[in-house]
Amino acid sequence: MLKRLAYLALCACAPVHAAPALDEGRIQQLASTPYWIALGHYETAKLGGWRSYVDDTRFFLAEDGAHHPDQELRATVQALYAPASLGDKHAQCVFPARTRWLKEQLGLTDLPQPDCQEFKTWYTSIDPHSAALIFPAAYLNSPSSMFGHTLLRIDQSTTHSDDTTLLSYAINFGAYIEGSDNSILYAWKGLMGGYPGLFALMPYQEKLSEYRSLENRDLWEYKLDLTPQETGRMVEHVWELKQIQFDYFFFDENCSYRLLELLQVARPSLDLTSQFPLTAIPTDTVKAVRQSGLVASVNYRPSRERELLARAEPLAPHEKQQVLAVSADTAQLQSPAFTALPRERQALVQDAAYRLERYRANGQERDPGQATRSFELLRAINRNPPPALDIERPGLPEDGHDSRTWQLGVGTREDRAYAEYGLRMAYHDLNDNAYGFPLGAQIEILQLKVRQYEGNDWQVQRLDLATIRSLTPRNALLKPWSWQVTGGLERVPGKHDDEVLVSHVNGGAGGTWQLADGLLGFALGTVRVEHHNDFAEFISPAAGFNGGLLWRNGLGNMTLEAKGDFFTNGEVRRSVSLNQQWEISRNLGLRLSASREFSHLATAQNEVMLELKWYHY
Amino acid sequence: MKRILLGTLFTVVSLNAMAEAPGGPNCGWGNMLFEGQRGTPAHFLASTTNGTSGNATFGMTSGTNGCSTKASLTYGGKSWFAMNGMMNELSEDMAMGKGEALTTYAVVLGVAPEDRTYFESVTHQHFNQIFSSADVTAETVHSNTLAVLKSDPRLAKYATEA
Repeated sequence: MLKRLAYLALCACAPVHAAPALDEGRIQQLASTPYWIALGHYETAKLGGWRSYVDDTRFFLAEDGAHHPDQELRATVQALYAPASLGDKHAQCVFPARTRWLKEQLGLTDLPQPDCQEFKTWYTSIDPHSAALIFPAAYLNSPSSMFGHTLLRIDQSTTHSDDTTLLSYAINFGAYIEGSDNSILYAWKGLMGGYPGLFALMPYQEKLSEYRSLENRDLWEYKLDLTPQETGRMVEHVWELKQIQFDYFFFDENCSYRLLELLQVARPSLDLTSQFPLTAIPTDTVKAVRQSGLVASVNYRPSRERELLARAEPLAPHEKQQVLAVSADTAQLQSPAFTALPRERQALVQDAAYRLERYRANGQERDPGQATRSFELLRAINRNPPPALDIERPGLPEDGHDSRTWQLGVGTREDRAYAEYGLRMAYHDLNDNAYGFPLGAQIEILQLKVRQYEGNDWQVQRLDLATIRSLTPRNALLKPWSWQVTGGLERVPGKHDDEVLVSHVNGGAGGTWQLADGLLGFALGTVRVEHHNDFAEFISPAAGFNGGLLWRNGLGNMTLEAKGDFFTNGEVRRSVSLNQQWEISRNLGLRLSASREFSHLATAQNEVMLELKWYHY
Repeated sequence: MKRILLGTLFTVVSLNAMAEAPGGPNCGWGNMLFEGQRGTPAHFLASTTNGTSGNATFGMTSGTNGCSTKASLTYGGKSWFAMNGMMNELSEDMAMGKGEALTTYAVVLGVAPEDRTYFESVTHQHFNQIFSSADVTAETVHSNTLAVLKSDPRLAKYATEA
């Protein structure tokens, strides 16, 4: 505000350079070009007209610039002619991308020449030459990371010849969180738009450690074929967004959406954002960027956890015991059990032990004892280095099935036939087409299923708000917990063999074990609260179990599950179910489901259904 | 109200206060093996949010996140402080004799492309001298490296810039 007043005052009092009188038609025409709209982050408002995603008065020079691209354009041109003595506060220094574009469009040759020292230093130190889209994939055990994230990396001209991406910068858009909200509160506030969104520029290396080590997420790097000039345009615009607050919404106006906007600033001919009117899931935005032909090459960086597991994978059980022993006490490096191993096996064991130590130190305060152990192991590695890790690149996440699922099923429940129609907004369950997804991860958001029984008898079968399951196998070295949580409406057995629609929340925790290649077994203890019309009390709690097998076979994924809920009011509800997916193509699957339900309120019910799943964004 | 309630229930993972460390507050990330680097505690929140927390970072003229740039040494156009955040990776790479962080170190020190493989093998051999203890600081690693380079006829020229 003050700044704006300063401009006005200076413009009024000391018109050293006079802004050219602009033709109104030309202003209107320029202000509605996609590039100006992109620079101002405008969208068409719900009631017509414009509104900017930017929620920050410092970003606008005109009084109501957030709603009037044309006024903002006029004010910007005015401000460009402010006296050069304003230095770093001059509009040309604050808005270099706008300046460049307006200069080109309007042929402004007589502009004052302020010395933009801050911007120049900043820009030179980044030295943009090319860019990469970075996609840290979902991490099984962290719910809010399940959708993944995207950021941009800005490389210098020597980055690739020197192999120094560690020195590159990352442009990240994220919610700006103050205080100590935890991840559940985060998700809540994120959904509700409770945090402002900000761009940040930081060393790429920092982001790498954050994702690969702290979070144990695999990282995908998509090198973009942007020219140095296009990359520079993008970086100039990022400067304009310094400390500028956006609205941040988890689903649409999120990190990925903002980055797409940046890419459109880099290359105006791109049209990426219009593909995401409702939700922008990072994998989908990666898909969109790929389809636009921007991706020149793909690089994969496994997480630290994956590296540890890959290192330990060829070890025999007694060698894994050595890994545990050595990582607990480096004096074991001299023990007969260790020294009896062949030298190349020793190299693997001590490298695995080192990685395990670092894995355990993850997120902890530095502990001198642990640091000494790690250091001793490093010295041992230095004397006997292991061969380089060769980790096979998993399926490209963006080649996995699309996020939204349309479902059409036919089945029978006892002797009644039905058709079932379903839509799931996102994303993946344990049985869905597996390519590009980790085995044992499930995250579903908003799923509605409606059933039509014989005689045109319609009913809502279920409405899931969210279903998350994380079945990460435990092994000799790592012992992660498995867990799940669900909430919504579903049909359960009621009196008179009715299916009653109940609202419920339930969750569970337990363990998962790798029984064979592609075969997981899991067992979880569960708790549930339910509102059931046939129950006397308003809310009924239950405790129970959920266990079964998840098998990756030639057709697709199969699950075999048993569940039980023991209510405090005496009701006992149990079920066994079998689901086999047949993966027809990337975006098409056929699923056979069979289940048998037992309840104290009703006789046992059998259900069989064949369901077509069409993954279509 | 809801917020307070949730906050009370789930403050299990909270942002620990960060201690001042060389490089200044909020400088660097990750769990650090070596002294002289920040031992940032679990930063669960920020990492799940894709967000920035604490200081929103932006003024990155130094090549570091909020790190103090005082007394930064510049080699080959790169600030030595850029290495500060990768001490762990550097120690691992040097112990094994190859890797991205070690290559980056060579570049930061201005080692010419034709000498980099040789630089990697020399520093690998002198790992014990460069990373002399578990408490070594980034600055010591740097001066130890220069000492090693000085005593090598082919690499000595890269130690003179100090």
